[in-house]
Amino acid sequence: MQQISDEAYEAYLKERGLSRTQYTTIELLAVAAAREVPDGAFVFAGTGLPLLASMLAQYTTAPNMTLIMEAGIVGPRVEHLPISVSDPRGCLHSSMVSNMADTFGTTALRGYCTVGMLGGAECGMYGNLNSTIIGGYWPGGVSGTGHGPHVRFAGSGGANNIASFADKVLVVMVQEERRFPEQVEYITSVAGQRGPREKKESRWDYGLGRGGELVMISDLCIMRSNPETGILELDVVYPGISVDDVVINTGWALDTSKAKELQPPTEEELKALRMLVDPSRIYLGRKSKREAAAQAK
Amino acid sequence: MAEIITAREAVERYIKTGTQVCWGGFSYTRRPYTIAREVIRQRDRIQKTFCTMNGGASIEEALAANDLIEWLETTYVGLEGIQPVAYSIRRRVQDGSIPLFEDYSNYGYATRTIAGRYGWPFAPLMAELGSDVPEYDVFGKAGLRGKNAGGSWIDPRIPPKKFAVIDDPFDGWGLRPHAFEGGDSTANKTMALDRIRESDKYTGNKGVKVILVPPILPEVTVIRAQRVAIDGTVRMEGILGPDAEQAMCAKTLIIECEQIVPSDELRAAPELNHLPAHQTTAIVEQPFGGYPTAVPNYYDYDWDWWVSYGRLNRKSKEEVRHWWTRHVVETEDDWDYLQRIIGMKRLFELRATPAYGYRADLKRPM
Repeated sequence: MQQISDEAYEAYLKERGLSRTQYTTIELLAVAAAREVPDGAFVFAGTGLPLLASMLAQYTTAPNMTLIMEAGIVGPRVEHLPISVSDPRGCLHSSMVSNMADTFGTTALRGYCTVGMLGGAECGMYGNLNSTIIGGYWPGGVSGTGHGPHVRFAGSGGANNIASFADKVLVVMVQEERRFPEQVEYITSVAGQRGPREKKESRWDYGLGRGGELVMISDLCIMRSNPETGILELDVVYPGISVDDVVINTGWALDTSKAKELQPPTEEELKALRMLVDPSRIYLGRKSKREAAAQAK
Repeated sequence: MAEIITAREAVERYIKTGTQVCWGGFSYTRRPYTIAREVIRQRDRIQKTFCTMNGGASIEEALAANDLIEWLETTYVGLEGIQPVAYSIRRRVQDGSIPLFEDYSNYGYATRTIAGRYGWPFAPLMAELGSDVPEYDVFGKAGLRGKNAGGSWIDPRIPPKKFAVIDDPFDGWGLRPHAFEGGDSTANKTMALDRIRESDKYTGNKGVKVILVPPILPEVTVIRAQRVAIDGTVRMEGILGPDAEQAMCAKTLIIECEQIVPSDELRAAPELNHLPAHQTTAIVEQPFGGYPTAVPNYYDYDWDWWVSYGRLNRKSKEEVRHWWTRHVVETEDDWDYLQRIIGMKRLFELRATPAYGYRADLKRPM
């Protein structure tokens, strides 16, 4: 890791009102996600937390990983946190920059996408993600009511594609029961197994040859897809969160039999995240939705 | 031969009510704001467009705020690090004032532009299988696909199908791995070829499935480049996003640029160019015209502008539209906008740091 003097870090903590050992939810999520990146991985990351986590992984678990951003960036050495997958900051000292068709085609399609990192609005028990709509899909011109969906989200972007091609998908999401239903209203991205194999509803039954392994990093816990059934199961809960908290906020009968507690972020991880990844706290300074809601009460 | 014209002339000539316009660049990078702002200035004449785009919806947010989008064919309507969903688009989709919205994925759209670029009738896309993205067909439901009783296309800009799935005639042989396992296997560990050979979805037959998508053939594509030669040769710097392909898909290609240069300057190293001269219909020169997005090696995005706009666009539709009226509609042209509304001081503050291609010390407070 790049050397950061202790004095510089101390001054930073003081200026920002932070502590060496305490961390925010966003910091915890970034650390938890970064730990899932194996060294040497090819990581497709979207903006926000995924980018934060994959940059942290470069400084911690995976110094030899290759970061890929779908707008055309392969293998950058980033100095300033990008806010977009096309941010010129993301292109710095890249192995190559080209175009979107090329990035997906030459890497993801050919099996180079070891890890894909995504967000989403809804996640179902088989790891299907919805980042498109809630409350009806059809827009006003064809819905019959004159108005469109109750809530419109950004849509797939590259999420569908990353989910289709990645060997392993990491999803970072706020966990609430309504966001974790058995089945999502609209499948934007097939990020996990998709459905039961015995009913021929799996990703492979629909022709997706790669992937199937999903790690859900919510703001309460980490879930993993069972390799046999494809159903998400509780793997670890965060310090201060109970298994019951997780169960209440999950819309399906969650298997909690293997649950353990997360090793909290280390001082070294927090230091790298704060000093090297996002020193301006563009993302780290944001409150998670749960924190914001708690504060509003 | 490309014609050098003003933004006003380009918009007057090529963008009418309902014209399909494909917008170049991606999110905060190299977006053609000179033409976009001119469309906003001429909003009373143009009224509605058919907007096609791939990537972060910065320009499309502005067009929606000015009620200029009627149909939207896109992959993503977020503003990435600034706003999860471009608010002016979101509320218009929800309340029905953008009546048609056709979803694609980034790579699905990119694959359509590959077909368009190379003149193919379709191209194979290996994503979107098993998801709802291809299944929900808005243009189809609106009756815009296919042919009418007279045998001509109902809307010639809209392909007769959103997608088609076929059985791979080559039985998955070409699903290329990055590391070969050796022997007679062409796949690697992560490709479960044995499983997808059992798939009988979509076609009813057992075997590897391939999803096909039609080309995208917009009436007008607008992109921004750093330099364009006087003959129309285009060279972009930095990331290309969707531009090299979608530029070649268009019937009319408008290139706006930082500077028009002599042909010899770009022809001295033609391997660095992205579009040959004959592709370009019109050239519009406007330094700093990509503002408030970044143009690599020239200037950075205006972080402060975006953060404050991300607060502003949550106000009422009328207030947001009025803000655009005062900031853009009432300006004479982009020189007037950039000098009077933004100011040369701010533009100069954003100039790129040479070794980085962006402003290395740009302050980005939330």
